[in-house]
Amino acid sequence: MTLALVLGAVLAVLAVLLVARPFLREPAPADDRLAEPGELDRRRLELVEERDRALAALKELEFDHRTGKVSDDDYRALVGPLRRAAAEALRALEPRAQARVPEPTTRIGG
Amino acid sequence: MLALSVAAALAVFILYTAVVGGATTQLSPSRLAGHAGHVALVGTVVGPVTGDAHGAGLRFRVKDVSGASRVTVPIVYRGSVPDLFKVGRHIVLTGKLQGATFVGDKDSLVTKCPSKYAPAKGSSSS
Amino acid sequence: MAELGRAALLVTFGLVVYALVAGSLAAWRRRRRLALSAQNALLAAFGSTLVAAVVLLVALARRDFTFQYVAQHTSRSLPLGYALSAFWGGQEGSLLLWLLVLSGYSALAVWLNRRARDLVAWVVPVLALVAGFFAFMLCFVSSPFVVAPAPGDGAGMVPSLQNPYMLAHPPMLYLGYVGLTIPFAFGMGALLSRQTDERWIVATRRWTLAAWTFLGVGQLLGAHWAYVEIGWGGYYAWDPVENAALMPWLAATAFLHSVMIQEKRGMLKVWNMVLVSLAFLLSIFGTFLTRSGVVNSIHAFSESPLGGWFLGFIALMTVLTVALIYIRLPLLKARTKLESLVSREATFLYNNLLLVALCLTILWGVMYPLLTQALRGETRSVSKPYYDFFLHTFGLPLLLLMGIGPLVAWRRASLRALGKTFLVPLLAAVVTGVALIGAGLGGSTPGLLTYTFSAFVAASIVLEFWRGTNARRAIAGESYPRAFTSLVARNRRRYGGYVVHAAVLLLAIGIAGSSAYQTVREPVHGLRPGQSMEIAGYTLTYRGLATRQEENAQATRATVDVSRGGSHVTTLHPGKNWYPVEQQTSNEVSIYHDPRNLGDVFTIADQIDPKSQTLFLKVLVKPLVNLIWVAGFVFVLGSVIAMWPDAVEQRRLAERYAPAAVSAGL
Repeated sequence: MTLALVLGAVLAVLAVLLVARPFLREPAPADDRLAEPGELDRRRLELVEERDRALAALKELEFDHRTGKVSDDDYRALVGPLRRAAAEALRALEPRAQARVPEPTTRIGG
Repeated sequence: MLALSVAAALAVFILYTAVVGGATTQLSPSRLAGHAGHVALVGTVVGPVTGDAHGAGLRFRVKDVSGASRVTVPIVYRGSVPDLFKVGRHIVLTGKLQGATFVGDKDSLVTKCPSKYAPAKGSSSS
Repeated sequence: MAELGRAALLVTFGLVVYALVAGSLAAWRRRRRLALSAQNALLAAFGSTLVAAVVLLVALARRDFTFQYVAQHTSRSLPLGYALSAFWGGQEGSLLLWLLVLSGYSALAVWLNRRARDLVAWVVPVLALVAGFFAFMLCFVSSPFVVAPAPGDGAGMVPSLQNPYMLAHPPMLYLGYVGLTIPFAFGMGALLSRQTDERWIVATRRWTLAAWTFLGVGQLLGAHWAYVEIGWGGYYAWDPVENAALMPWLAATAFLHSVMIQEKRGMLKVWNMVLVSLAFLLSIFGTFLTRSGVVNSIHAFSESPLGGWFLGFIALMTVLTVALIYIRLPLLKARTKLESLVSREATFLYNNLLLVALCLTILWGVMYPLLTQALRGETRSVSKPYYDFFLHTFGLPLLLLMGIGPLVAWRRASLRALGKTFLVPLLAAVVTGVALIGAGLGGSTPGLLTYTFSAFVAASIVLEFWRGTNARRAIAGESYPRAFTSLVARNRRRYGGYVVHAAVLLLAIGIAGSSAYQTVREPVHGLRPGQSMEIAGYTLTYRGLATRQEENAQATRATVDVSRGGSHVTTLHPGKNWYPVEQQTSNEVSIYHDPRNLGDVFTIADQIDPKSQTLFLKVLVKPLVNLIWVAGFVFVLGSVIAMWPDAVEQRRLAERYAPAAVSAGL
């Protein structure tokens, strides 16, 4: 019975130590602020996700066209706007670099 | 949006008719008296248990699962009897009141195990 | 040692309360060290819960009857494996299992995503809130560490639970149920930290898939247990306890599909938040239903102290979730909208509507007795006909959609392209339908429709693999086998998903065959030794009875010879066991698995009259029922493929989220 209580006390002490650890390691930190993505970071994330979405959509369109789900007419109609959207997203991310939409690669359905 | 609303309305309609059409009333023995229709009787088995479920019929009585009522209802039942069936078990049985006796539907006897989380079933095939 | 268990749970409770309070404060006031401290508290909570779990396991193994829980659920003669499984056999232990799995999952999820500090700062308090409820219950309402003077022997375990499937079924279910808390917590965390990006989905994608798989497998195990152990000839009875696991699974299925839409098109953000919350709330509700027995009888509500607490917790979480989603609604605006009602997005949407509709009708059916009792003073309940109706109404279109979805292009599909891609599957369906009607199977409309739709879906899936492999060959010049494997490897989620669809297909066919086309026969006056009965081409002859003594039971078995077309096929031994310690009988069915039709000859010794040696035998012939269990394996295979880590994708996601990294799943 006393063994149980001792073990219990040890457990409690360990718990407290773990919880206090961040404060014990850095008693007087230079900066205690929790990092938060700023406006710029958020915007960048949005653009990256948009770029990835557009590129993935292009790959899927290419694949669907190859496997016959999308007719030639539909493909022609859809590929233009998608390429433009992808180019825009890339341009917005790297305004100075040349935004070039990669040709549909040999990587199927990525 | 319009399509969705139509679909939703249709769904509600189907739901309503299906539920109203198919629902069974559950009663405890103390509330059964005089109830004419097809119901599900919920109660605890009271002995003695006589007869044969595969012969002339298993005969026993049921009382309320909880509460002070001392009312017991005589049952006659034919069909499969679940293993957990015994005096003191909580059971559910569908059927009709015929005269003073509740006649159970064939194979509709089901036992419930209140403390375990897996109720034992009767013989309704599915 | 019970004191250690109790102390450990108190430490857990203290830790999660701290994690909740400190974590919320830290996230709100943006304090880095405090957030880290709260995170550590959550991690430590797993450690202390583990200690409590080990204490209980050791007590169970040693049959320490001073633990009231051990005395109530085990006995000296109980085999060790089952004694250990009593951990989750009772209310208190199952709560501890919930907490153990939750704290373990939480620790892992938080640890893997620790670099996404702003997101995790809010995820920690959400997880702590849920864990806090269970810790509270375990410490102050329903403790597994209550001690009492030890009785001579324990009460033993209900015989029907002494079965290998019952060893695996609850842990599987819990790994599933609890797993749904993780995506919920990350979703709420994303809302709380005002994030509009997809990090929470990316981080929890594999968690959701894993939890969903465990929940599905857990249900199949439970169904199989009901089939072989309870032995009434069926595997699902629409019992509230069964529905309790089905509902969150359906919601999770809908969620798995709709997140794909959010990832690809930036749509359905609000819907996804609602769905992930629904899945979580239903899993808590499911635990509540199973534990409190409330829907069996309204009176059981007041009997169990747990019911009120659980309802309160569900109500609290529902209110908080709805409020949070409502407040953050502006953040969840869609980027694009649905372009065409004939597009793959649209089919996913229909799939979601059907799944949620089915889920809600089941919920309605489960709640109906409670509602009628509360509102009308009279309890009314629904049963199999109600559930079957809605299973057919929503399930059959869902089945068909599984085949339609892959054939339709994203954004907008032209009817001409559809015509071409639909042709072969449609032909397959029509041919199958005609053949089946010709073979005399037109009697059951749902059965016929299931088979016809299944043919459509099967053709559609096969075509997907075929066309994909061909396309790969054309581009990379690979051989067929290599093209196939690289096709799947480069697109694990899609093709793993198709394998899962194939599993659902097998499930549907198995269910249709074994219910719509089953035959049942039971001779009214029973069989005397030597007598035979005929059913669906089989002849069963009853030979006699035999009794023997097993480890903790007395077993009576009838010998039944089965022959088909004049030749002996097998001998079955249905019967009953009598357990002296538990004072209970259990039904022991005997099943013949016929390789010819993948079906079963299911024999039940309904009643045995030892004096006259009369056997009341009930026999069911269930064609194709074994497809259901096969489906379970295919299901796991598909999920594993879909979950398999993809190095290229990992790199891409790591680069995308570099400044505030999440681990892309497990």
